Amino acid sequence: MYLEVKNLVKYYNKELPIIRKLEFSVKKGEIISFLGESGSGKTTFLKCIAGLEKIHSGSILLNNVALNDKGIFVKPQDRKIGFVFQDYPLFPHLNLEENIVFNLDKKYHKNLGYILTLTGLKYFVSRYPHELSGGEQQRTCVARALIREPELLLLDEPFSNLDSAIKQSMREEIYKIIKETNTTTILVTHDINDSLNIADKILIFKAGIVQQYDKPEKMYCEPANCYCAMILGDMNKLFIGSKTYYVRPEKVEVVKKSNHKIKVEKCFFQGREYRIKGRYKNEIWYFFSKKSINENEEVFIDFKKMDLIYFDPVCKNFFK
Amino acid sequence: MEIIKNYFIVENKRWIIVSLLIAFFLLLPIVILFIKLFSDPGKNFFYLWNTVLIDYTFNTFYLILITSLFTLLFGLFPAWIISNYRFIGRNFYDLVLFLPLAIPSYIMGFTYIDILSFTGPIQSFLRNNFPWLASYFNIDYLQIETLGVLLGLALYPYVYTAARVAFSLLGSNYIDLSKSLGLSTIKSFYKIILPLSRPAIFSGLFLVFMEVLNEYGAVKYFGINTYTTGIFKAWFSLGDIGTAIQLSCLLLLVVFFFFVLEKISSSKTNFFYETNSPVQKLLYVNKDKLFLFHLVCSIPFILGFFIPLIFIVNNVFQTYSSIDFVRLFTLSFNTIFVSSLSSFIIIIVALFFLFIEKISKTKINTIISHLISLGYAIPGAVIGLGLIMLFSNIIDSFFSVSLIGSFYVLIYAYVIRFLAVGKSPIKSSLEKHPESYDDTGKNLGLGPFKLLQKIHLPINKFALISAFILTFIDIMKELPITLILRPFNFDTLATQTYEFAIEEMLPLSSAYSLSIIIIGSMLLLFLKNVINKQLNVS
Repeated sequence: MYLEVKNLVKYYNKELPIIRKLEFSVKKGEIISFLGESGSGKTTFLKCIAGLEKIHSGSILLNNVALNDKGIFVKPQDRKIGFVFQDYPLFPHLNLEENIVFNLDKKYHKNLGYILTLTGLKYFVSRYPHELSGGEQQRTCVARALIREPELLLLDEPFSNLDSAIKQSMREEIYKIIKETNTTTILVTHDINDSLNIADKILIFKAGIVQQYDKPEKMYCEPANCYCAMILGDMNKLFIGSKTYYVRPEKVEVVKKSNHKIKVEKCFFQGREYRIKGRYKNEIWYFFSKKSINENEEVFIDFKKMDLIYFDPVCKNFFK
Repeated sequence: MEIIKNYFIVENKRWIIVSLLIAFFLLLPIVILFIKLFSDPGKNFFYLWNTVLIDYTFNTFYLILITSLFTLLFGLFPAWIISNYRFIGRNFYDLVLFLPLAIPSYIMGFTYIDILSFTGPIQSFLRNNFPWLASYFNIDYLQIETLGVLLGLALYPYVYTAARVAFSLLGSNYIDLSKSLGLSTIKSFYKIILPLSRPAIFSGLFLVFMEVLNEYGAVKYFGINTYTTGIFKAWFSLGDIGTAIQLSCLLLLVVFFFFVLEKISSSKTNFFYETNSPVQKLLYVNKDKLFLFHLVCSIPFILGFFIPLIFIVNNVFQTYSSIDFVRLFTLSFNTIFVSSLSSFIIIIVALFFLFIEKISKTKINTIISHLISLGYAIPGAVIGLGLIMLFSNIIDSFFSVSLIGSFYVLIYAYVIRFLAVGKSPIKSSLEKHPESYDDTGKNLGLGPFKLLQKIHLPINKFALISAFILTFIDIMKELPITLILRPFNFDTLATQTYEFAIEEMLPLSSAYSLSIIIIGSMLLLFLKNVINKQLNVS
């Protein structure tokens, strides 16, 4: 494995560790998305990997070199790790090119032209940070990290400061750049769409531990627990006997006749289709329909048995 | 690749050790005073206690009270008007309202007493034109109440500046909200704006308290007994250093009392400003209010700057033939030299401590950084006494003789006293920049020194210039420390002004006063320009 994190523990208050026991590994060139709520310790984790925060126990191995292990701590400036921070910290007294080549080893100067072309920044080299748009600032930060040919790239919520109009195109651009340079990347985000769009694997992090670490499709269809299921999208709750099952909205179909009748509460127009909110046996359900449905109208819905997901009954209260 | 084989290392150890050492030297004179207090009680303390101590305490607090009332009166209302209204002359007032900072309070005192004296322009005019009225003005102006008003005129810019920033930052939401709840403009001011701005205004007022406690020249000229004059009297007149130390320690307790008050008040600041909204848009003024606004804004400027300046300029013309230009030039050079050198050292020390505090993230450095800022709250006379105690008792007598009365000790004292003045603008500038600059710098391979050199120095350059100017002006005006610790035969513009005035030769002091005011005003106007540039950049 290219990056191996074993039993990583980090706390500010010993009683409440922010990372309890983190263990996972990444292959060369893979993009891993670290998904969790705000304040769950995602940024702290990235800082631990980069050496900007000390860990309390555990080990980090990158490309067969121990960065953190018993009695070993490699300084942040000596780790070959690129870090793109959430707030795009470009130094205001330097222009775009000076920011990219800031404190750069001579051997990497040859990469400048390639990186500028790759990130589409070659016409802005003399501009200062306040003269750049959010997207350009973000690409400059990525360029500054990539020009050093890092062994690992860390992206901390890189799309959170962008408006939705350019978010999608930026995601695609960043994905293209990372794959073209074959850079192993950890992307930290709280937005599931970021993860589903560009990650090879998703790691769901909650309460200081890994909840699930898998490919996006598998995670979506076979979530390890109800938290993982909920974080990846809406879930409709269904009681069969004494058991509670869940079904994804897109697995629910509007049919002419079935055993399941639902009363429509709201119909949201979403371009290609309508997103319907309804009440089924006192539970709120969501599903999609090609046609608009009036409020208070009752319709029949159906779903396949194989699409039902079952969790242990204690799961639903676990994270409350 | 450097591998550190220890988990529990303290980052930047060497920097922290150096900061501890410097902090030790900055706090040493005060520690020495307390050691002396308990080891060598003064003989005359009980005599003082039975005679003048209550008088000292009453006068000190009474003077603080009057001065505070007038600084609030002269500072708050113009700040509110300038922050909220657009009218012709607004920019001019905004520029000149803090110019009284260029006039040392003792010069303000000397000048006004001369203006109001029997032979001064006001009484002369009244005698010639309204003889029946003149007798009412022929009173003794050397009273504590007059001094309070004059100190109010000299010190209101501290309150004005703090309130101006607070009122501008408060944002429009609170004002819109209070209006929507049916409050009039005046009620909004008293019920919403003033309580919300209280911590900021109190921090300005705290500086006023400290300046009054530290005031020596004007208080001595008015013949009022306060703690500071008491320290000088016990030391120089009674020759009782023990009593001077006891008075200094009592004064430190008073300072500590105000310091705790300020901390309690400022601890709520974050809460107040967290919910800030867009900055209040400037309102146009009705014609009927315009005259009132001009009156409110112009009175502090006219009384606090314009009249003393005109009077001093007039005195300079009257005494032009007797001005010793060589001496004036020499003293201006001395003043600029000692103020520049001290300010430069202060900026380096302040930047060093703030940078260590930023990168080390250890509690000890935060505590030290707070402790060394206390120097500003300690009156110059106390610092002077502490340093003389230090060098005359601890260090070998040969060295102590050559050190006391040298530039080294004078600059040492300035650094202790004015470090907080230099720290303040640098601290707020450093706090404005995100922590990710440091993390990015480290991630890109910078060590602490390069981080300071390549990132923090260039991006905080305006703050460094502001800090230098503010410190320079304060040191240029400083009197007690300079009087106590200056080298033999070394004068500054401040000490010369004071010596002429105290010898009742006020017209002769005018050329020196004017030099202080001109240098101070030019620097303050330059500072305003720097601040405007800074605002444009960020």
